Amino acid sequence: MRPRARLAAAALAAALAAPYLPARAEEPAPDGWRPFTAAWTLQGTRQLLPAGGVRPAALIHVSGPFTVTGGEGLGRGFLGEVFAFDDGEALLVGRMVFTDEKGDRIFCSARAEALETGRKATATITGGTGRYARLEGSFTLRWQYVVAAESGEIGGRFTDIEGRTRVASPGREVPR
Amino acid sequence: MTPAAKTLVARLAVLALGLAIWFCPVPAGLTLPAWRLFAIFAATIASVIVGAFPILTASVLAVAVAVLSGVLPPAKAYAGFANGTILLIVVAFLVAKAIVKCGLGQRLGHLVVSLFGKSTLGLGYSVFLLDAVIAPAFPSDTARSGVLYPLVLSLAEGGGSKPDEATRRRLGAYLMFCGMATLSLSSALWLTAMAGNPLGAEIGKSMGFSVSFGSWLLASLLPTLVLLAGLPLLLYKVFPPEVKETPEAPAAAKKALAAMGRLSRDEKVVSVTFVVMVLLWALAGTLKVDLTAVAFLGLGVLLASGVLTLKDIGQQGDVLATFIWFAILYTLSGQLNTLGFMGYLGQRLGGALGGLPWLAAYAVLVLAYVLLHYLFVSQTAHVLALFGVFLGVGAQLGVPVPLLGFALLVSTSYFSTITPQASSANLLVVGSGYLTQGELYRLGTITTLFNVLVLLLVGTPWILFVAR
Repeated sequence: MRPRARLAAAALAAALAAPYLPARAEEPAPDGWRPFTAAWTLQGTRQLLPAGGVRPAALIHVSGPFTVTGGEGLGRGFLGEVFAFDDGEALLVGRMVFTDEKGDRIFCSARAEALETGRKATATITGGTGRYARLEGSFTLRWQYVVAAESGEIGGRFTDIEGRTRVASPGREVPR
Repeated sequence: MTPAAKTLVARLAVLALGLAIWFCPVPAGLTLPAWRLFAIFAATIASVIVGAFPILTASVLAVAVAVLSGVLPPAKAYAGFANGTILLIVVAFLVAKAIVKCGLGQRLGHLVVSLFGKSTLGLGYSVFLLDAVIAPAFPSDTARSGVLYPLVLSLAEGGGSKPDEATRRRLGAYLMFCGMATLSLSSALWLTAMAGNPLGAEIGKSMGFSVSFGSWLLASLLPTLVLLAGLPLLLYKVFPPEVKETPEAPAAAKKALAAMGRLSRDEKVVSVTFVVMVLLWALAGTLKVDLTAVAFLGLGVLLASGVLTLKDIGQQGDVLATFIWFAILYTLSGQLNTLGFMGYLGQRLGGALGGLPWLAAYAVLVLAYVLLHYLFVSQTAHVLALFGVFLGVGAQLGVPVPLLGFALLVSTSYFSTITPQASSANLLVVGSGYLTQGELYRLGTITTLFNVLVLLLVGTPWILFVAR
């Protein structure tokens, strides 16, 4: 086999095997926080209601793969699902649920700027199930792009997701 | 091995494939429902490809398994039956029947044959050229298929070719596939010819790659013109019609046209109805009218005027079969996407290309983007799920963004025949009965390969030249 073909075959094999390999463990910082970075491609629907605001009020339901691209403390990826409400003025709030391959979940609340390319959002982890039961943390997101079809379908991608997580100590309440 | 034994082996192999995926550990980053739905979907598509089941049988078994195993809730599993695009296809089928029934189709067929009918190849080219010219006015390739289909059906029937084993290969099967393959080119040629194109352009814009009507046309022009010249001929060679040369046909068609005399009452009703439908479809974006509602309006007029009767509707069993299998596959594929499977696969594939030279990465990205359409039943969903991901990966690997952007966007139409269910615009031809399942897959693969090969070999240097 030629070297380039060997490189391509190795890359393909690595890609296929990667989801089954355990994540490399690293020691957390003394205060327990572990940073992470991620990317998230989303697709779903948006229902609009012209309600006299700057823009129509909207109910948004999107989901897609949330891929952890760096850091520790989380799995390699999740299915991320979002329910959000835009009041057409200043308020865009939502709930996010991240589910991993074992069915364990992370719950988040989110606040965001208007649904446009380049706009930002922040999310706070409010709890979880299974191995994420006492997880706390937060992260920021920025739309690399978001587009909407007339049919109500929307699609977009968050990049530059940066955040940190840690497991709350047993005696302490996880922020809700 | 007897045919029955072959079928049994194929069914067992497909079952084994489905079970193997089902019981495989779920890859990190996916969820159990996504993985199990993939097992069902993969087994369904594989069963059709290897001939274990017809597409209708495979689809109804798939949705039954998906719901009974709890992978999908019933409300989500049956959502495709209320999808507007699928209803549009069903209604367009019935309108096409009216065009043929009243005699207008025969008249149209004679007219086209009188102009281009010296050979079946000439008729094939006329279908491609007509579609390429009308495409920019139709933002939906599905609606455009509703315009082309009656014409192709009329040409086939006018040539004595019916959807039966004895005569379908005379010229009907060839022309029907031309009617499907042409949409893969016309939709790629114009920014406004397919619903997913403007969405892709908008995604590209936010990633630093600006697309206008003119820049799209310029970028797609050369590869698509090469394909327009070559594809009808390629199909003619690999899937030859039995009737090839008809030098006397134009004169005979002119005589037949003269003998038909003036338009009958039913032909006038159908003509006016169809013209209004076509105008409303073309202006749907401007007038903000729903494409499916326009089709229902046309069908309503044809029923109210008596051109179509309830008995006519009752005889269209093929329409029901097409409606059922496509609605099911549309839903399963859509749910697979909603559960994050498509995006996950795209991100994993994209992430595996690090270290490749940009030209190799570009070719792999385009090929992977095309092959992944085996899992999709909607071109728009494909664009939304994968275009941005692949463009981002390519940019990181040093692939020129305009090159990759245009190549992926054009591919989104070039791959529309890769499977019968790859685009809702295929369904009228798929349901016509002129082509077998095996022929549809074989010709779809050949067409897609040819389209992508021309894109890579001709389109790549061209796009690099015009879209720097």
